[in-house]
Amino acid sequence: MGNKMIVPFGSQHVALPEPVRFVFETENEIITNVEVDVGYVHRGIEKACQTKIGYKQVAYVVPRICGLCSISHNMAYIIAIEKLLEFEAPKRAKYLRVLAHELDRIHSHLFAMAHVAEAAGYENLVMYLFRDRELVMECLELLTGNRVQFDYGCIGGVNRDLTPEVEKELRKKLKKLEERLFWFRDVYLNDYTLNLRWKGVGVIPKEMAEKYNAAGPVARGSGVRTDARAEFDALPYRELGFEMVVYEDGDIWARNMVRMDELLISMRMIWNVLDGLPEGNYKENVKGMPKGEAVCRWEAPRGELFYHVRGDGKQILTRMRVKTPTFSNIPVLKELFIGANYADVPAIIISFDPCLSCTAR
Amino acid sequence: MLKMFIESLKNLFSEPATLPGFGTEPPKGYRGLIVYNKEKCIFCTKCELVCPAGAIRFIYPEDGSRNLEYKYNPYLCIYCGECVRECPKEGALIQTDKMPEPATKEDNPNETWFEIEKLAEESKKKWQLALAKKRQEALKKAQQAKQGKKEDNQDKKN
Ligand code: SF4
Ligand code: SF4
Repeated sequence: MGNKMIVPFGSQHVALPEPVRFVFETENEIITNVEVDVGYVHRGIEKACQTKIGYKQVAYVVPRICGLCSISHNMAYIIAIEKLLEFEAPKRAKYLRVLAHELDRIHSHLFAMAHVAEAAGYENLVMYLFRDRELVMECLELLTGNRVQFDYGCIGGVNRDLTPEVEKELRKKLKKLEERLFWFRDVYLNDYTLNLRWKGVGVIPKEMAEKYNAAGPVARGSGVRTDARAEFDALPYRELGFEMVVYEDGDIWARNMVRMDELLISMRMIWNVLDGLPEGNYKENVKGMPKGEAVCRWEAPRGELFYHVRGDGKQILTRMRVKTPTFSNIPVLKELFIGANYADVPAIIISFDPCLSCTAR
Repeated sequence: MLKMFIESLKNLFSEPATLPGFGTEPPKGYRGLIVYNKEKCIFCTKCELVCPAGAIRFIYPEDGSRNLEYKYNPYLCIYCGECVRECPKEGALIQTDKMPEPATKEDNPNETWFEIEKLAEESKKKWQLALAKKRQEALKKAQQAKQGKKEDNQDKKN
């Protein structure tokens, strides 16, 4: 018999920049039970979108749910609304949407990887990742006009065109970034410290990931083939060379490698967009009011994002529901902790890349 | 590990990635403050309607005329640019690449804005009433004029 102890983790914790609270019951450093509370930053955005704000304006409110995947929220919403209005965006707009979204994925994944490295105590890798993340942030700033809140997609297309000057700058910066990505991949694959710290830690077997419905890089790191981009036809992913990345190991290292390889796939898609951007309008006028019901499944950087909208032909929607990827990953996270070492907790949580402002909304 | 070590050594002698002491310049096309031009505005209030944050409010004059006063809160604005895209008159609203100065206690941005919001709502109600009154009066006058004409005609006939 060991010492039974209750250890709270969060809602403010040095290793975790997100307001989530875990209460661990431990016995000799081994976790026996865990409670989770995710509702610390509830802002009532869904309610506001159903009672106060017109459906066109909601496209600028939902990105504020999350800073890191703001464009995913924005685009999932507008695509759901476009389904209701029976409108198809022009081809150029679709390509530009992919461009912005994949750039966003790159910056989000680099951020996540940097945090995982930080939890392993690898400070200089964090600094390098953040330094090179600046390149993609600058690209996004050039393309959309802001670093974090892009407000890029709108009902009917996108808000800005890609001008030749911006394209030139983008190419220059992305080329630099791509070189660095290959270098990072090499480090992640071969570094002795990282392998030692991450291999075999926090293993999610495939059955567990399937049973608890994991999403995103967590599921793909455990060998589950799930990616909304593979099934989604509102944007031309397959045409642009999308490929699903799946690793079988299920540990922290595999989750990170999924992110790393996805960066390279995103990079390839971005080059394809820049090389093959079709001519035409980037925005068209949409008429009508949303009537009926529609859903949109969207692959955000952290996994599958789900939007459900219902309208009855008025300015204000009658229902808007958001299901975020982190929320889907909480059950598997909880299950994973039982029997794990307490010392691995920060690394495991951060390898899930949780986004609590999304989850609590 | 060797790779990291080499990279670290290289970085000892390379330029710093951050600029010491200066903020970075916003790039061309940065979305910043909204600037209003009263001369060009036609007071359609479309910008007020589409603003998701409610950062543009109009204060209505008491006499029921269309000489509205534009009020803008740079701290509430989310710089989405929707007002500029929606404005039917080109040049009435422009999005600049300037950022707002941080507000201080003296500016009292919250209280001032709450008052403006209240005033905007009240003045709109009053304005609508005044407008309705004006319309009624105009209608009455028109009717009277019509009746007068009729009477005139009848007088002439008689
Ligand atoms: S930029 Fe957006 S938030 Fe700011 S005033 Fe215009 S519509 Fe409102
Ligand atoms: S939309 Fe343009 S023209 Fe209409 S009130 Fe606003 S600034 Fe004036």
